[in-house]
Amino acid sequence: MALVSLTDVTKSYPSPEKGGAPIVAVDSVSLEIEAGDVFGIIGYSGAGKSTLVRLINALEPTTSGTIEVGGRTITSMPERELRGIRLEIGMIFQQFNLFNSKTVRANIAYPLQVAGASKAEIATRVDELLDFVGLADKARAFPDQLSGGQKQRVGIARALATSPRLLLADEATSALDPETTQEVLQLLKRVNREFGVTIVIITHEMEVIQSIATKVAVMDGGRVIESGDVFDVFSSPQNPSSARFVSTVVKGVPSPAEVAVLRERHDGRIVTISFRDGGASQSAVFLDLANAGLEFELVYGGINDIQGRAFGHLTLAIRGADAAVDAALAQVGARAEVTEVA
Amino acid sequence: MDRLFELAPEFWVAAAETLYMVALTLLIGGFFGLLLGIVLYTTRPGSLLSNKPVFTIVNVVINFFRPIPFIIFIAAVQPFARYVIGTGIGNDALIFALSIASSFAISRIVEQNLLTVSPGVIEAARSMGAGPIRILRTVVLPEALGPLVLGYTFVLVALVDMTAVAGAIGGGGLGAFALTYGYRQFEPAITWAAVILIVVFVQLAQFFGNWLARKIMRR
Repeated sequence: MALVSLTDVTKSYPSPEKGGAPIVAVDSVSLEIEAGDVFGIIGYSGAGKSTLVRLINALEPTTSGTIEVGGRTITSMPERELRGIRLEIGMIFQQFNLFNSKTVRANIAYPLQVAGASKAEIATRVDELLDFVGLADKARAFPDQLSGGQKQRVGIARALATSPRLLLADEATSALDPETTQEVLQLLKRVNREFGVTIVIITHEMEVIQSIATKVAVMDGGRVIESGDVFDVFSSPQNPSSARFVSTVVKGVPSPAEVAVLRERHDGRIVTISFRDGGASQSAVFLDLANAGLEFELVYGGINDIQGRAFGHLTLAIRGADAAVDAALAQVGARAEVTEVA
Repeated sequence: MDRLFELAPEFWVAAAETLYMVALTLLIGGFFGLLLGIVLYTTRPGSLLSNKPVFTIVNVVINFFRPIPFIIFIAAVQPFARYVIGTGIGNDALIFALSIASSFAISRIVEQNLLTVSPGVIEAARSMGAGPIRILRTVVLPEALGPLVLGYTFVLVALVDMTAVAGAIGGGGLGAFALTYGYRQFEPAITWAAVILIVVFVQLAQFFGNWLARKIMRR
């Protein structure tokens, strides 16, 4: 059974103008998040993803639809009971939201105090977490003495304090530089692997999804327009908006303008070969072309690795007799998808 | 100048009276101002315990009393002072009136300072399962403590100013001293002696407040 399941969930806000139509932030979204997933939700700002994540721990009440977390329906739960549920769901934020008046240690201890843990339990747990995030030497520092990456590591330690099964990450790396982003993402990966914590990560950066997500949902205008395994969505996005996100990290098929440039620089026929899986077929493709006595060079594209599976698009300029090229491409077509671009 | 030396005993008594009035008002008005400010903050729409009727009533009451000039307010609350503390004149009657007036002013300062706490931090505490009262006590107040100390320092300085009218209802203090022995007896030196001591009080209070706030905010 899914750890989190959303059925036809809608969240709307009353219009700021009197009598205006309500603003729909999340529009009939249904999603299943399995235990152990790193579930990415990607979309442009205003797509409704931050609102969606706040519905999962009921920081915002749902307008209609049902949300179940760990088999319990939270959408009909009174606030007092929801507080208990929130202890089992960690959350980290874009702006870290650390308590500036408290030390790193006190920040991490806070959720444990809310949960009613004893002083001794708190002390041991906080030490464990400080070690896990590599900040044992910063225990007595205040948040304003830390770098962005360190702050987010404190945020992660604090979110994990009560050993939640689910961690919600709201644009957790968007305020960080690329290097620190990777550092934090690797830490989240460890949280997922070592503690089996299910992670829901909201982002507008495809790199984040590419680095750690196993599943992805693409949001646009409050709706989930595509969802599935990260590999599937990356290798063959079904929706133009998803394709646009994918193209930010995957150099794929050349655009018409790029084709024109390639045409100018290279003679022969320009062909894009798309590899869907494994990449093992690459050598076979090159062998086919070589055996046909054709001269070819790689002019555009790349191979990507998602969750240890490779896919990509390679554009080649092939020179040789037309008939020979046709025959060779027919052979290649059996191994990978071939598109003649110029 | 000689006159000032003659009046030295009265001068120090007046100084002590000013300190007494300011300190007691800061304590009483500060306490009720803090409570009212917290009520304003927590009941405002979208806040921890948002409650429109309570917010509206408190808001209207505060706005009703705040614009009343203090010298008139003292006269207006005199009957209540007689009823509650048994006298309508003197230093204690002034403390009574000033405690009420300053509660309303302080409540606004408290409200404004609590509003500076980032909503994200409060959301983080909510996401950890903390309830509204706990969030107020363990997050909002500690996070706003530095600005609150600066706010109260500002109030302290304003209270020194307002106690100067105590003479109007037969009270003492440096204000009454300056008017009685300086202004009315054509002795500018006496007036200036009171002025200088008040400036010293204010400087010390501001210095201490700044120091304390800096210590709390660690900058």
